[in-house]
Amino acid sequence: MNCLEFRRRIGAEPRSRDPEILAHRDSCKDGCAAFWQRAQRFEDDLEAALAVPVPEGLADRILLAQATGERHRQVGRRRAWMAMAASVLIAFAGVGMLWRHADLNSLPALAVAHMPEEMDAMSLTEPMTDAQVEAGFVGRATRLKGPAPIGVTYVHDCTVGPYPAVHVVTRMNDEPVVALYMPGKMVDKTTEFHRDGWDGRQVALSGGTLVVMAQGASRKTRDAVERGWRAAIEGPTGQTVGRI
Amino acid sequence: MAPVHEGVNPKQRQYEAMVRALSADLYRYAFWLSRSETVAQDLVQETFLRAWKNLDSLRDAELAKPWLITILRREHARLYERKRLDTVELDDNVPEDAAFASPERSGDAAQVREAMLKLPEKYRDPLAMQVLGGMTCEEIAQSTGQQPGAVMTQLFRARQRLKDLLGGRAVAEGGRK
Repeated sequence: MNCLEFRRRIGAEPRSRDPEILAHRDSCKDGCAAFWQRAQRFEDDLEAALAVPVPEGLADRILLAQATGERHRQVGRRRAWMAMAASVLIAFAGVGMLWRHADLNSLPALAVAHMPEEMDAMSLTEPMTDAQVEAGFVGRATRLKGPAPIGVTYVHDCTVGPYPAVHVVTRMNDEPVVALYMPGKMVDKTTEFHRDGWDGRQVALSGGTLVVMAQGASRKTRDAVERGWRAAIEGPTGQTVGRI
Repeated sequence: MAPVHEGVNPKQRQYEAMVRALSADLYRYAFWLSRSETVAQDLVQETFLRAWKNLDSLRDAELAKPWLITILRREHARLYERKRLDTVELDDNVPEDAAFASPERSGDAAQVREAMLKLPEKYRDPLAMQVLGGMTCEEIAQSTGQQPGAVMTQLFRARQRLKDLLGGRAVAEGGRK
């Protein structure tokens, strides 16, 4: 390194600790050491001059702004989570209410709800005549297409929820089984239910829906009654109805 | 006021330490860049807020100051884009700043400051980065998008210009008694 290069480097980087620069400073006989000293003093003055006073509390104000912003973001995030949780809760509650509303208005629920006012009919034992049974169905503008099951002890035209129905009680093996036929009320499929002590089945027929249910009666008896009423309402289909 | 560290997460601690260690130097750099105390304070605030958001990208504590200066320069450029600040003559602005209202005003430091303010930005900026930021030519070059050789030339000329502005004063000669 020559003196020109040395002074150019010192002019740009006076604080450089480059070994080449320091070596030239220490070995040069042409005043480069003095030049380096003057450069250092100038740099000292420059650093002192550029160190303008810093506003009091600057660091604290910066930290306050950051902490405030961060807190604000945290509150925002918390609110967003709470809003999301509330939305989910409301959605669940809504679905629950819809489900409950649908459940309370299902045919099994309406049928079971209809029973308390008809409990006396369960204790009747005197069989009714075919004509009386026929008359009950005619009252709902429906005619039986096959013979009514033997052992019908009660026939009445009722209203189950909003649906007009024929309410019959069939006694088989000394077990009363209720059948509610709602002409014109169509359901998609046959389903079983167990509700408030009643075991039953909702049966989809071609012209309406039949709900067969009993308290304590065997499944075999309920099945037999269902088959009997299905054959009576839809006509014989070759099925053999058990002896009633 | 001593910082409370208990229960504070490491990121927050790192940030607080960085603010306390570097905000003064950053403010001084911002002042020489913008030549305004108010703008300098705003720039430092904004720089540290941005630094908080990107603190995870800072891997080496030694690089914190150059990193912050780079952020501050970007903020300064943005400020110019947004506000289209007037580029009025320096002498109209300077007397309003407290840095020049001190008793030092009559001394060498005040004259060096005035001379510094008269430097064109292309000289003043890298010089402040070097003197206040402790940045090397390579770091300044990286931050300003220039070649190191060009930065070295700017630094050399900046000092030459300063000495010219200070005339035959002792400070310009580095010749304190």
